[in-house]
Amino acid sequence: MSDPVTDHLLDETISGLADGELSAGDLARTSQHLAVCAACTTRALQESLLQRATARAGQRYALPESFEARILQTIAARKDASAPSTPPVRAIAFGRSSVWAGALAALLLVTASGLVAHDLALRSAHTSALVTEVVDEHIAAMAVATPEVISTDRHTVKPWFQGKLPFSFNLPAALPADITLDGANLVQLSGQPTAQLIFSIGKHHASVFLRQRRELSLTDDSIHHTTERNGFHVEGFRTPELDGLAVSDADPARLHTLALAMQQAQAGE
Amino acid sequence: MALLNWRRTQDRGGEQKSSHTAPPHVHASPRAGFEDLALPLLPSLYNTARWLTRDPTEAEDLVQEAVVKALAGFAGFEPGSNFRAWIFRILRNAFLTSRSGLAARSTVALEDEIAASGTPESAMEHTTPEVELLRLSDRATLEHALEQLSPPLLEVILLCDVEEMKYREIAQVLDVPIGTVMSRIARARAELRAHLAQTGARTPHNLRVQEGGKAK
Repeated sequence: MSDPVTDHLLDETISGLADGELSAGDLARTSQHLAVCAACTTRALQESLLQRATARAGQRYALPESFEARILQTIAARKDASAPSTPPVRAIAFGRSSVWAGALAALLLVTASGLVAHDLALRSAHTSALVTEVVDEHIAAMAVATPEVISTDRHTVKPWFQGKLPFSFNLPAALPADITLDGANLVQLSGQPTAQLIFSIGKHHASVFLRQRRELSLTDDSIHHTTERNGFHVEGFRTPELDGLAVSDADPARLHTLALAMQQAQAGE
Repeated sequence: MALLNWRRTQDRGGEQKSSHTAPPHVHASPRAGFEDLALPLLPSLYNTARWLTRDPTEAEDLVQEAVVKALAGFAGFEPGSNFRAWIFRILRNAFLTSRSGLAARSTVALEDEIAASGTPESAMEHTTPEVELLRLSDRATLEHALEQLSPPLLEVILLCDVEEMKYREIAQVLDVPIGTVMSRIARARAELRAHLAQTGARTPHNLRVQEGGKAK
């Protein structure tokens, strides 16, 4: 909602307001703030103007002539090619008792395996979503020319997060050779405020995400080893208070040295 | 202070949708056939693909690939669920593995090497709504600013502002949590503002207000 330091509305709140995405409670609190804050009201007005203008400018390219006809032809051709040759339905005769016994056994088997599969699928889906999210956040950060705070000095980067995060963290006093701190961003990871610390590993870039540890997290245990996604490696680590995720397209061994240094820094090592 | 009507569904009305065919079936009716659902979305799919690829031929190929893949997977599509989010997600995945998508990823890394291309701090300052309105009325300037966005920020702003998707739908398309959608939208708009401010700095209307009202 509001930045704890400046007491002004967060950018995400201003966007959510313009997009009609605030909950009733958030909308009420935001309206109360706007009623007494001219600066945020100006920002909200500008956001709304920008959103409308973007909507108009974004509708730039009309469908080429005859493209729809070509797509229809493609659909028709694909449907013809995959026209089903329906296999005859075979009637299988069972005695009544064997049908019920078989059905019961099948039901039990399906239920038991379904519960295990559901748990595994849920865990896998969460892990996959988290890996996708950190890779996407890393790519998005690389796409933006400058991080929100630019500094190679840990004494500049760490204090920048004061009042922005509900936790504190340490940065290593000395980073492994050929690894340098470039800056940091404040992001949301799975809905949690997260510190994104950006490093250079040689000519590659890496992000280390730090957020408060969630005991009931389904995802973090399963990515303690390096996971690969679209050429990026993701390595998870934990401390008693924090969950960490390191991502980079650099050599996984180098990424591991960075993850290890970050993990040890939290213990004051 | 009197506020605008923030609800986009109310304040935009039919104005936006007149130039673009709005998807009539966001949620697929159980009886709808593939063509019924896919064809109304072709203009939106093409517009998005054209922005992302920046090439008309590649955009057509991308839409065609997405449609073919959607058709192939339509048997597994659950009737009543969000067809639009589903086919946009297929389009987006097809883009990521396309020539342009792969090039964009490597360009992202290269761009990051150029520290000098960063946005000047002054460009992030806020202007008055009147000045903002003047800038935004220049469609070409805004189109140029959109072109400067990286693919991850461009796609989220296209889905949000142009396609008018809810955050929940965008999260489905991009396969990320809503929190990520929120931070990307805020970031994309900050980038747009910065690009517009840079353009504005070269016009006589660069009347900046040092209001200090920005939270981050």
